[in-house]
Amino acid sequence: MDRIKLKLIYPKWQKLRGQTTFNLPPHGPVAFAATLPEYVDVSFTDENVEEINFDEPCDVVALSMMLSTQVKRGWAIAEEYHRRGIQVMAGGISTMLHAEETVNHVDSVFLGESEGRQEQVFEDWKKGCLKKVYNYMGQQPPIESVGPCRRDLYKRELYNHKGVQMVDLFHASRGCRFSCYPCAVSYLGGRKFRPRPIDKVVEDMASIDNNRLFIVDNSLAQNKEWEMELFRAIAPLKKKWISHTIEDDPEVLDLAAKAGAWYVYQAVYDTSDYIKERVKRYHDYGIGVEGTILLGLDNQTVDDCKRLIDFLGEIDLDLAEFTVLTPFPHTKVYDDLLRQGRIFDFDWDHYNAGQVVFQPKLMTPDELQDVYDYAWKSFYATESQEAKMFRLFCNVALREMNEGTYRPRDRKLANRSFGKEVKRNIGTK
Amino acid sequence: MKVPSHYYDEIFDFKGQWDMPSSCGLKIRSVDGVTYVIVIELYQENPGTSVTYAGQSLAEQICACKGLDLEKIVYWECNPDTNSKLSFYDEEYFEVDFHADLQHRYRRLTEEEVKRVLS
Repeated sequence: MDRIKLKLIYPKWQKLRGQTTFNLPPHGPVAFAATLPEYVDVSFTDENVEEINFDEPCDVVALSMMLSTQVKRGWAIAEEYHRRGIQVMAGGISTMLHAEETVNHVDSVFLGESEGRQEQVFEDWKKGCLKKVYNYMGQQPPIESVGPCRRDLYKRELYNHKGVQMVDLFHASRGCRFSCYPCAVSYLGGRKFRPRPIDKVVEDMASIDNNRLFIVDNSLAQNKEWEMELFRAIAPLKKKWISHTIEDDPEVLDLAAKAGAWYVYQAVYDTSDYIKERVKRYHDYGIGVEGTILLGLDNQTVDDCKRLIDFLGEIDLDLAEFTVLTPFPHTKVYDDLLRQGRIFDFDWDHYNAGQVVFQPKLMTPDELQDVYDYAWKSFYATESQEAKMFRLFCNVALREMNEGTYRPRDRKLANRSFGKEVKRNIGTK
Repeated sequence: MKVPSHYYDEIFDFKGQWDMPSSCGLKIRSVDGVTYVIVIELYQENPGTSVTYAGQSLAEQICACKGLDLEKIVYWECNPDTNSKLSFYDEEYFEVDFHADLQHRYRRLTEEEVKRVLS
C-alpha cells in the first residue's frame, strides 16, 4: 500500500437549547491533519454541518474530539466503522479527558500533542501493530514545530451563515501558566506557557483566507512582552480577531486595539468596581466584551446569582455567555466534588456546561438550573443574542470598511446557513 | 499559590495517569499502632496528575516505596490551604476507602480527627 486514505471525523454534539447556534470551523482536526505523514490522504467530515458517509472508502478512521459531549457520539461512530472492519483512532482534548473509557471503544488513542508523532503511528498501522495507547502526555513537542493548520480541508460553504463567513480559529501559543479551578488546560497542555515564535504566527495568520479570526489561546495575558510583540507584529495584517483575556494595561490594550482586537471573552465573577472598570477599559479602546459568567460556585446562593446577572446590565456588556459549573475530569472542581460525593450524573452527554450534573452547595440542582435559564432569558430580554451579535458584526464591518479590508457577504449563500437552506424574511410580506 | 512546606515532610514523585511525572506532598504518621499515610496536593508545584485522580495507584506506589501494606494503612488526602482568596482552596482532609464505590470513597475529616493524628 503506497498511500493511506484517512477519514477524519469531528463528531457532532447536541447544541444548548435556546441559544443561537453558530458552527465554527474546528481547529483540532486541521491542526492534527497538518502533522500527518505525506503519504496520508485526508477526507474530513465535521458531523455538525454534514452527515457522515460511512460508505466512503477509507483505510482507517481518526476521530478528533474536543468536547465531553462528543465522546459518546465518537464511540458510536467507532462502533459503526468496526462493523465495517475499519480501525479507528481517537485524539484531541476530550479523548485525553476521557481516555480510560475511550480506549475501550477505539483501536488506538493518541494522548498529547501530535507534532512529530504521527509518522510512528502510521508506520505501526501499516505493519498491523497499531498500539492501543500512544502516550505523549507531559511530553510537549518543540513549539517551533507547530505549523500552519490544514485549513484546505474545510468545506468553506458549510461555515457560512447567510453569506457571512464564520471566523477561523487560530492559536498563537499552547499551555497555560495558570491552573484555574474549573479548567483542565494545565493537565492537557502543561503548566508552562509556550508561545509560538512570532514570525511563525505572522506567517500562519497571513496565510488564512479570512479577515476574522478567533485566537483560541487560553489567555493572552501570560507574558506581557510576548503579548505586546505579538500585537505589534500582527497589526499590519489588518485582521480582526476575538480572544480570551488581554493584559489589563493601557499600553497593551492600545496595541491590541491597533492589532485588530474585535472583542474579548472576559470572566465576570463578582459585582465589584474592578470588573466594571475592566469592562470599561476594554470599551475605551474600542474592544467589545463578551462576559463569561459561571454559575453554581460554592459561595453562590440563588440571590447571589441573580445579583450578578442584574449587575451585567450596569456594565454594558456586548454579549454574555452563561455556564453552570461542570466537573470535567482532571480539574480541581472534579476532584473536590467527587470527594464530597456531590456528582450525581456521569453521563458525558450532559457535560455541556448548561446542565447541572452536581449538587450545588447553597441551592438545589433545580434552583441552579432555573437560575441558569433565568440568566439567558434576562440578559437577552430586551435585545436578542442574534441582534447583539449583529451590532458587534456591524462594528467590525465598519472598521474593515475604513481600512479597505471589508469583504461583502457572499450573495450566493444568502439563503443558506451552515449548509442548510434558510428562509429569509427580508423583502417578503 | 504555593503550598506551605509545613504541610508535608517530603515531596513524593509518582507516576500519574498515563505515567505522567507527578508530585505530591507526603506525611506518614503512626498513632496508636495505626499508620496514617497523608498525601498533599501541590497544585502548581505538581506537574502531572492530581492526588485524587491518581487515587489508589498513588497509594500503591507510596506503599511499595515505603514498605507498607495498603490493607493496613489509613490513607488521607489533603487539600492544603494556600492562602487563596478563593474558598475552594481552603484546607480539607479526607479519609479514602478504596473498597467503597466512587460516591462513598471519601469521608471528610473533622478538625479534631486531623489534630489527633497531626499534632
